[in-house]
Amino acid sequence: MAPCAWSFRGNINRFLDIPILQCLIVLIGLFNLSLCLYEDQVGKFDWRQNYVGKIKFASFDTVSTAKKIIVATEENVIAALNLKSGQILWRRVLEKGYGGHIRTLGGVTDGDLISVSGGVPAIVRAWDLATGHILNEWPIAEPNSDRIKDVKWHIKDGTLHHILPIYNSGVEVTSYDSKTGEKLKTRRVSAPFISRETECVLAAPYLACLKGDSSLAVVLLIHLFDTNAQSQSVTINTIFGAGAQGPYKLESVLGEGPVISINADNDQRKRILVIGEFPTPIQRDIAGDATLYVVSVDNEKILLETTYKNGKIEITATNLLSSAVIPDLSVTLTHASIQSPTIMASVCPRQTKGITCRHLLSSQDHSIALLQHNKLVWTREEALASIVAVEIMELPMSDRDQAIETEFDQKERDVLSMFLRRITSQINQARAFFQTILDLVPQQSNQRIDLVQDKFGLHKMIVAVTSAGKLYGIETRKGEIIWQFKLPNIRGFTKLSNTMILYVQRGSRHFPHPPQCALLAEDKETGEGVIYTFNPITGQSLDGLVKLGYKIKQSMLLHVATDDFLRGILILDVRDKVHVYPDSATAVAASLGKNIYLFTADQTTGILSGFSLSYSTTQELIAHKVWELLLSPRNQRITQVVAKNPIERVHSQGRVLSDRSVLYKYINPNLVAIVTEGIGHAHKNTLNLYLLDVVSGAMIFSITHKRVRGPIHIVHSENWLVYSYFNEKGRRTEIATLELYEGKIQSNTTVFSSLATTKLPIVERQAFIFPASIEYMQETITEKGITSKHIIVALANGGILELPWMMVDPRRPINPEMREEGVIPYMPEIPVHMDAIINYNQSVSRVMGIYTSPSGLESTCLVFVHGLDLFYTRVAPSKTFDVLKEDFDYYLIVIVLAALLISSYVTKKLASQKAQKQAWK
Amino acid sequence: MKEILCLLVILINSCERYVIAEHEEDTSTDLFVIEGKVFPWDNAASTGWQLMTHVMANGGEHYGFLREDGTFIISNVPSGSYMVEVVNPNYVYEPVRVEINSKGKFRARKVNLIQTSQVIQVPYPLKMRPLAPFRYFQIREQWRLTDFLFNPMVLMMVLPLILIMILPKIMNDPETRKEMEQLNNLTIYNMPEMSEVITSFLSGGEKQKSKAVKAAKKRQ
Repeated sequence: MAPCAWSFRGNINRFLDIPILQCLIVLIGLFNLSLCLYEDQVGKFDWRQNYVGKIKFASFDTVSTAKKIIVATEENVIAALNLKSGQILWRRVLEKGYGGHIRTLGGVTDGDLISVSGGVPAIVRAWDLATGHILNEWPIAEPNSDRIKDVKWHIKDGTLHHILPIYNSGVEVTSYDSKTGEKLKTRRVSAPFISRETECVLAAPYLACLKGDSSLAVVLLIHLFDTNAQSQSVTINTIFGAGAQGPYKLESVLGEGPVISINADNDQRKRILVIGEFPTPIQRDIAGDATLYVVSVDNEKILLETTYKNGKIEITATNLLSSAVIPDLSVTLTHASIQSPTIMASVCPRQTKGITCRHLLSSQDHSIALLQHNKLVWTREEALASIVAVEIMELPMSDRDQAIETEFDQKERDVLSMFLRRITSQINQARAFFQTILDLVPQQSNQRIDLVQDKFGLHKMIVAVTSAGKLYGIETRKGEIIWQFKLPNIRGFTKLSNTMILYVQRGSRHFPHPPQCALLAEDKETGEGVIYTFNPITGQSLDGLVKLGYKIKQSMLLHVATDDFLRGILILDVRDKVHVYPDSATAVAASLGKNIYLFTADQTTGILSGFSLSYSTTQELIAHKVWELLLSPRNQRITQVVAKNPIERVHSQGRVLSDRSVLYKYINPNLVAIVTEGIGHAHKNTLNLYLLDVVSGAMIFSITHKRVRGPIHIVHSENWLVYSYFNEKGRRTEIATLELYEGKIQSNTTVFSSLATTKLPIVERQAFIFPASIEYMQETITEKGITSKHIIVALANGGILELPWMMVDPRRPINPEMREEGVIPYMPEIPVHMDAIINYNQSVSRVMGIYTSPSGLESTCLVFVHGLDLFYTRVAPSKTFDVLKEDFDYYLIVIVLAALLISSYVTKKLASQKAQKQAWK
Repeated sequence: MKEILCLLVILINSCERYVIAEHEEDTSTDLFVIEGKVFPWDNAASTGWQLMTHVMANGGEHYGFLREDGTFIISNVPSGSYMVEVVNPNYVYEPVRVEINSKGKFRARKVNLIQTSQVIQVPYPLKMRPLAPFRYFQIREQWRLTDFLFNPMVLMMVLPLILIMILPKIMNDPETRKEMEQLNNLTIYNMPEMSEVITSFLSGGEKQKSKAVKAAKKRQ
């Protein structure tokens, strides 16, 4: 027996080799870098929404066979919208910022589309109205480059008129062929009364100017295309009668026909002046806040007045000259999503049934809507094209889970009452079960059935704050807007980026307390801080809009919650006084006082300062300045201050080197990266990066890059930083990384203290060439930080790249012999793999930000990209290791198990037969 | 060959001079127009590709839009160096670097981000042809016989089968049996059979113990 057994073992070893190899291959496959999507997964967990932005110019295209609306927006977009559904037929995104600023749009009524955009010289583009192709483009020569703001544009009959008032002399009108750019003629209309102070508006073919400010003010009218014509003048008194008070405001009325409106008495009163050969003032007062539009119906001019009061929209149609009200065309409407609308374009064609008017409304909250007769056909939430703050919230538990939660959430622990509660809840559950089975009364619920937490925490709610002051709740499965709310009179803290701050004070896990978010912004009129608290799931206001009465300098969320799980907000005002919101959290804040530090960075003065609250008493919080740092604004300007994500967790404390020793990470939660760009001749094109411990004020590290320029994008996470810049010398985009290590010994294994640690970290750094332009960068984040980190990079070409951090690891060895585990040898260029583009061909334009949020699964991170378009998806940086793959072969495993089972039975039978036979021998 | 090298050197030099010139004459206000043509992918003659495509200089500083025939212009560009890229979500186009000197002389060359001084000229006005369609997706694995056979589970099933069916036959072969025996003889002294050890340990252990106890008793 012995030899047999031995050989058996040998054979087993021989055969076992193959499966081990297989296993190895499988394991290697798990860790390879590909992170692709399968084609059948398209749209399964991602969605994209396209927007155009706030409307600036609009017009109905009634010339083409397919009726549509042409719009040009503040976001430098020209688009065609479907008349019936409001969907985008085609969209052209022009250059970002000033370079693509749309100055005028016209010619739609003549069957072509001309846009003038950009700075000096402006670019004139002629577009194909039907398809959106460009027909031609040409730059317009600008003699006075500093006066581009005063230039008025007029497009008529294929001619583009460039109208420039010249002070104390006249108006220069230059005409071009709008398609070819050929200069047709230049003429000068004399108007010596125009000076720097005169306010002029274009009411083609006239230019109307207001001169003087008192009751002697005069409206002067100049015909632009008739050089012989004398300027006409209308005094304010003939328009308003006696007794009108200044200041007056001149406005051109949109629509057909040269009509202007004049506001008087501090915008309380408004009257219109119809310009023609003989200008006729209309002796009728119009409400000062009404917006006007002139539309022609059957060759008759109709004035449309739009007013908005208490949620009611009223459009009153009157005959322009006779002021007779036309009730057929007047509309009264109430709709939640339209606020203070303005008619941007209107058409009233005569059809068989009579006259039906279509009005394109643009609201104060940037939304646009199409009104047909008195019915709202569609609305578009264009405020979403300018999101300034985002949070992704967990959805609340379902009613059933809530019932279970209440059952165990009781304070008293009496056996009998607990037993009773158990029984009652089980009876309730049974009743609910039978009700659903028998299709009886649907469960009355205060929430939508599908808006509940799912098993893996993948279904969430995006809370978005827009620059228009409108808040949205968007669910993540389909991108449907669940709620929206417009906050009146708020604006962001900085003018340029319109930042508002959104805090999650209480998450969704603290039933029965509702989740709570707080928005910090500035009052439009006073500039003082406002705070608005709301339920992020339903959009209901909790405390209303609270005016704080002081200007906000800095704010932070307390890390300890009150007894009802609410985290207070600490606000530092401009006089360095500390406030807590809500007041009930003051006690918690005071008890934490010793450990709270704040820091501020002032862009204009370049001063960074740190505050400590350790001098606080139980009644009052006192901020005491503990350190100050000056980054002289004369040679550098602070452009970015980047801290780590406060919810981030670092799972691995160190890195195992090839000699089995551990290099410990320098994980300082108080580390903040400050980026400054050099200004002035000597420091132009330099970039400085400082790593500052904001508790102690210690400078940890600083680096200067010469001959580089922005835009700079920076990601700060764990113990590393990744930033991108444009290298002027190499004329390429580069990504640089820094990684900080404590060394081989960890100074404190449990808690990091900025005040106790004095040793500076070891900094590893490396730079890589990146073959595309970057619009934004953000790192992925997961619940426990076990999953490896990837960097989500928004590219200028509309792609969103998932770049493994391993690719930008500064420890990638240049010498290929010094290899470490899991480190790829250094290559100067980072390849952009197409299969790492997570939005495949769903390009997104002009990305403003990327928000990442952990899901319930450790492997999965939720990604929300916003800009002109919205895109949402989820990524699994280390592949979905905690759930079975989507294409997991259930059949195979069943078949194999069944086959094994059957074969074992069969062999058992066979073996017994054989044994029987042998026994017979 | 030498001539070509010389030429290259000159080109590099001139390129550097351009760069220097660009830095010196930052204030020159002359504006130029970059021209070119984008060709569609042959197989995809679908309409509307012009709408999906635009041309981008320096990562979005300047845009050029396509006419119906694919030609484009990028207007209002000051002298300098521009990376011109075609942006299309479905097809890859190679970027081109266009250099305009202050006199308005154009030169287009291939983009080389690593060796920035290397010059491989391409014709100007630009002709942008698609290299390949983008491959954003991984191809789902197809069911293949080899995959199935090398599946660990299948191997697990097949392996015992082989052991059962083939081993007895090998054992029956006299030559291998001899070999085995030889092997066995060699190793038998070094390696006691595991199963025997265990059985002896489990069954015989007790007896020996009791014997030992008895012996101890006898001594007393």
